[in-house]
Amino acid sequence: MKRLRRLFLAPAWAVTGVLFLTPLAIIWVYSLLSRGAYGGVIWQATAENYQRLFDPLYGMILLRTFVMASAATFFCLLLGFPLALFISRAGRRKHLYLQLVILPFWTSFLVRTYAWIFLLRDTGLINTALLSLGVIREPLPLLYNDGAVLLGLVYGYLPFVVLPLYATLERLDPALLEAAADLGARPVTAITHVIVPLCAPGFLAAGLLVFIPCLGAFLTPDLLGGGKTVLAGNLIQNQFTTARDWPFGSAVSLLLMAIVMIILLVLLRRGERLV
Amino acid sequence: MRRRTLFLMGLAGAAGCARDRRPRLNVFNWSNYVAPGTIPGFEREFGVHVRYAIYESNEEMLARVMSGNSGWDVVFPSNYYIRPMREYGLLAPVDQGLLPNLVNLEPEFRAPEWDPKLEHCVPYMWSGTGIAFHRSLEPAPRAWEDMWNPHWQGRMTMLDDAVEVFGAALKKLGYSLNSTRPEELGKAQQEAIEQKELLRAYINAEVTDHVVAGDVLAAQLWSTTAQQAIAASKQVDFVFPADGFLLYHDNAVILRESRRRELAHTFLNYLLRPDVAAGIVTATRTATANAAARRLLPLSIREDPKLYPPPEVMARGEWAQAATPELQRLRDRLWTEVKAA
Repeated sequence: MKRLRRLFLAPAWAVTGVLFLTPLAIIWVYSLLSRGAYGGVIWQATAENYQRLFDPLYGMILLRTFVMASAATFFCLLLGFPLALFISRAGRRKHLYLQLVILPFWTSFLVRTYAWIFLLRDTGLINTALLSLGVIREPLPLLYNDGAVLLGLVYGYLPFVVLPLYATLERLDPALLEAAADLGARPVTAITHVIVPLCAPGFLAAGLLVFIPCLGAFLTPDLLGGGKTVLAGNLIQNQFTTARDWPFGSAVSLLLMAIVMIILLVLLRRGERLV
Repeated sequence: MRRRTLFLMGLAGAAGCARDRRPRLNVFNWSNYVAPGTIPGFEREFGVHVRYAIYESNEEMLARVMSGNSGWDVVFPSNYYIRPMREYGLLAPVDQGLLPNLVNLEPEFRAPEWDPKLEHCVPYMWSGTGIAFHRSLEPAPRAWEDMWNPHWQGRMTMLDDAVEVFGAALKKLGYSLNSTRPEELGKAQQEAIEQKELLRAYINAEVTDHVVAGDVLAAQLWSTTAQQAIAASKQVDFVFPADGFLLYHDNAVILRESRRRELAHTFLNYLLRPDVAAGIVTATRTATANAAARRLLPLSIREDPKLYPPPEVMARGEWAQAATPELQRLRDRLWTEVKAA
């Protein structure tokens, strides 16, 4: 029995080892080496790449990244929860709505982000419509600012919130809501006092599914932010491309990973209490 | 019917799998840097097979060929990559005896500053950085200084590239585009931070759409890319700034690892042929180093000042130079500060 279990686990271990642990080990080794003049690394050990992380410049970038990721997570949950609640109560149409939530994945994320550029720019759909309706006289500066980045992140990660929340809400016993109503709770009170606390683990999972990828996002800030802000993902990407400083890029990646790990450990420990 | 089509497709696939006995040349080039007929023409004429792939940046190309067994024979580094690639021992010497068509090059490119005796490279095509702008702009921009014009706030963009943005600022201040002095770069950074408030975005080739649409009125852009915007709209124009600008020259080189150096030379000589080079220029709208090819082009392209600046303008250009790791690091730090400001 035990041997059988090991046998079944072997492929998973192999995949984890080859596709996750090996690259991670390479990044770790690189982060301790010196930079090559034109990319790559020189085999000369140094702790300098980690010392540079204490620079306030990079601290500010990390802080800004956390603020942006938190805001995106907040809005995703705010928008995703009512949607998930609606779908879980939609009866026969449930599956149709779920399909619609997944529908955007049929197109590449890059293409969808470009679509936002066409919507938001001065001569884009939104501004043209508002101008011709006479609502505004000058085009609104919708593109190339932090708001556009936030919008892009919320848009991109909303399905990741809806699906786990839906899964939790789906399993919720409707009798509990009936009981709340019998005891005099209005629908809003029932949501805030019954549904939300019971779905806390779902909220946690959904929040993490948005927060973590947002920390490393570089495409959205680049395309919708117009390169005017730099988030952690952009910083790392730049080290591996134009700055040609692979060791420092590796060190920043590892720092980001370490922070995420700590957050995960803290939240999961609290999450256990929630369940 | 359908089954038969499938069968035929399978047959074609099988034929593709059959071993190609023709000698194979491996060419790694920038995207959009040959005419559609260039490679097939070479294959037909010399009975060879070319494996052709494209890259988008020098860094990407170098990362691939650095190992010395990348499988490529011919690549096209920019001028400031020639020296480092040579120092890394990646380049094979060019045998000029095998390149009779070298005489077609412009005299100045037979002795370029990055390889005066053409020992390791063959100049191919070049471009410069200037300002693409909407014709409605009054007065039209003519120098980098104009990219600091507060009246055009929010309607200007710069390239998302430290070398280009600092280069423009250095020129505005009257320094060399290739300055390596920390104090000059520091002042350029201050200029860049001031300018950031006025900019809509730091954006590369995608800006052509915005200029054509009129969202962006003035954009720092490469001359080759600007040609696409000009082709798309009569409202777009381009100028090489009066205070000076960066020039880039891409060169064909043969890698030291190549085992088909003779065939590679044949290919380089083919690219130097006037008709072939003219075809490439017509398709890519880039400035050619090939004088004989240029003579074959229609006057409108041959004398287009947005591609071939007149001598007095050209004199203000500076060929981009390779950065030392120290300069690279300083520039990246200053640039990150601009971005985080």
